[in-house]
Amino acid sequence: MASMVTNPVTNANSDRTKRKKKKSMIMEDNHQSHARWKSEAQQQIYSSKLLQALSQVSLNTPSSSAPRGGRAVREAADRALAVAAKGRTRWSRAILTSRLKLKFRKQKRQRGAAVAAVTRSSCSKKPRFSVSKLKSKSLPAVQRKVKVLGRLVPGCRKQPLPIILEEATDYIAALEMQVRAMTTLAELLSGSGAASSGSALPPQSPPP
Amino acid sequence: MENQFFLGDQGPPLDFGQSLSSPLSTAWQSLSSPMEIQATELNSTDYGLQFESALSSMVSSPVASNSNLSNESFMIRELIGKLGSIGGNSGEISPQPLIANSTNTSCYSTPLNSPPKLSLPLNTLVKEKLPRLGKSMGMNSSVTDFSADPGFAERAAKFSCFGSKSFNGRTSQLGLNDTSSPSPSLSPYRSNPLSSNRKIPRVSSSPSLNAMVIEPLQDRSELSHSQEESSITNGDPSLKPSKGTNSRKRKTVPKAKTNEISTSPSTNAPKGTESNEKRCKSTESNGNQNDSIKTEDDAKGNTKPPEPPKDYIHVRARRGQATDSHSLAERVRREKISERMKLLQNIVPGCNKVTGKALMLDEIINYVQSLQRQVEFLSMKLASVNTRLDFNMDGLMPKE
Repeated sequence: MASMVTNPVTNANSDRTKRKKKKSMIMEDNHQSHARWKSEAQQQIYSSKLLQALSQVSLNTPSSSAPRGGRAVREAADRALAVAAKGRTRWSRAILTSRLKLKFRKQKRQRGAAVAAVTRSSCSKKPRFSVSKLKSKSLPAVQRKVKVLGRLVPGCRKQPLPIILEEATDYIAALEMQVRAMTTLAELLSGSGAASSGSALPPQSPPP
Repeated sequence: MENQFFLGDQGPPLDFGQSLSSPLSTAWQSLSSPMEIQATELNSTDYGLQFESALSSMVSSPVASNSNLSNESFMIRELIGKLGSIGGNSGEISPQPLIANSTNTSCYSTPLNSPPKLSLPLNTLVKEKLPRLGKSMGMNSSVTDFSADPGFAERAAKFSCFGSKSFNGRTSQLGLNDTSSPSPSLSPYRSNPLSSNRKIPRVSSSPSLNAMVIEPLQDRSELSHSQEESSITNGDPSLKPSKGTNSRKRKTVPKAKTNEISTSPSTNAPKGTESNEKRCKSTESNGNQNDSIKTEDDAKGNTKPPEPPKDYIHVRARRGQATDSHSLAERVRREKISERMKLLQNIVPGCNKVTGKALMLDEIINYVQSLQRQVEFLSMKLASVNTRLDFNMDGLMPKE
């Protein structure tokens, strides 16, 4: 009897502690992720990866499927960032798989282009516009913004709000680190380029 | 009579090892054996001595012997589960006996409450009793590690061993201030006197206790508790008067709980109460949740109407469980979202001044877009630098 009485209490207790632990873990994860992206080591790791990728981009002539110039660098930088994230987050996984998807999409497009060319001439574009307009106005403001944010963060187009927020937190931290690293790298490279020497790279220091 | 306490059932040994912390478990285990020994010696009036000696022997010799206290074991387990988190309240927890309804148990309630802390408040309380307990003092000489205060065990024994005797009688013996209802069942939690010498500071000072304990202990008589509490709290400085002295049985609980909930972090308390409700389905928990919901609603302007104060256990079916579960899930979801928004607020500059989801989302979107544009710009810059540095790449790479 007493045990029965105590059980709910202890269970509630344990449940409460479990919930508290879960919450604290979530908080910790978020804190950790932000701290992780802020660390010097992470930045250096990323910079090294980026340099490798950049060398590959410059070496590879842009005659292949990869787009040319800045776009290639941007994509290389994003991929390096995703690798630095170790694939724990949705956006990093989405970035890494996006290349494959692009390839598939291109093939499909080539196949469907012929069909689409035929159909487009017959169909008018009106209904499409009206539908899109209706869609944009019917949703409440918050929902619309959530969708926009979902489109901005790679891989989060159809995710619910809490997931989008979580991914956005990590993505913003990672982007900040990326900006810092690339700024430093650009300065160093341009500096060394100006010096026009093969001097060794000094250890990276965070920009002020 | 006392023998009945301790020798009532040759039940299984108290297996507190799992639930209790080590010092407590040793205390308990040691308690069980000496209780038997002492039972015969001491007279009914000197429960304190009995207990004290038992405690002392228990503390000194952690013997996991078969305790006679099967009944007590139930109570003890209950206590342990509930008091596990109450360690901090030890100061206030007087050695209230766990007296089961049917039998006299709960001699061990006191040790559960971090005995060393108990010694301090008990010192003041016990001093007045010292002359009476001279006998027990001698027996307690062995209690060294248990607590520096010999009076503690004494006190504990006194309170714990009320058992069959009328409460009035005992309190009078002990010189307690208030002697009232002779209800034999004293829950140890209740014994944690909160504030006054009044009759009934039922609610224990620890919020966790309140949340956890109050529901199952509803049937305990709180009046008797309060008396003991009042007597014990005389010298207890650490009592929390804020918990309020409620003479009623149930009303105090939800009120106290609401007080706690309002003060405690909003996210944790409602969740705790929610979980409680899911588990215990008692009116108390309902009351708690409702109160918590109330406070939350007030805070968040929720549409859920505030619940009327729960008085007694039978308020059970008031709010439909279905709606509660929905609202619970909704609340959990909302809290998750708000928690994440707070994190984002810290990260995104300029979000501190903005309130409301829409505006914050605006800020976040702007920030992400600006960061992405920066990356774009820097990548263009790097590309241009790259073309110039193609021939220098080999010099740069080795350091990486």
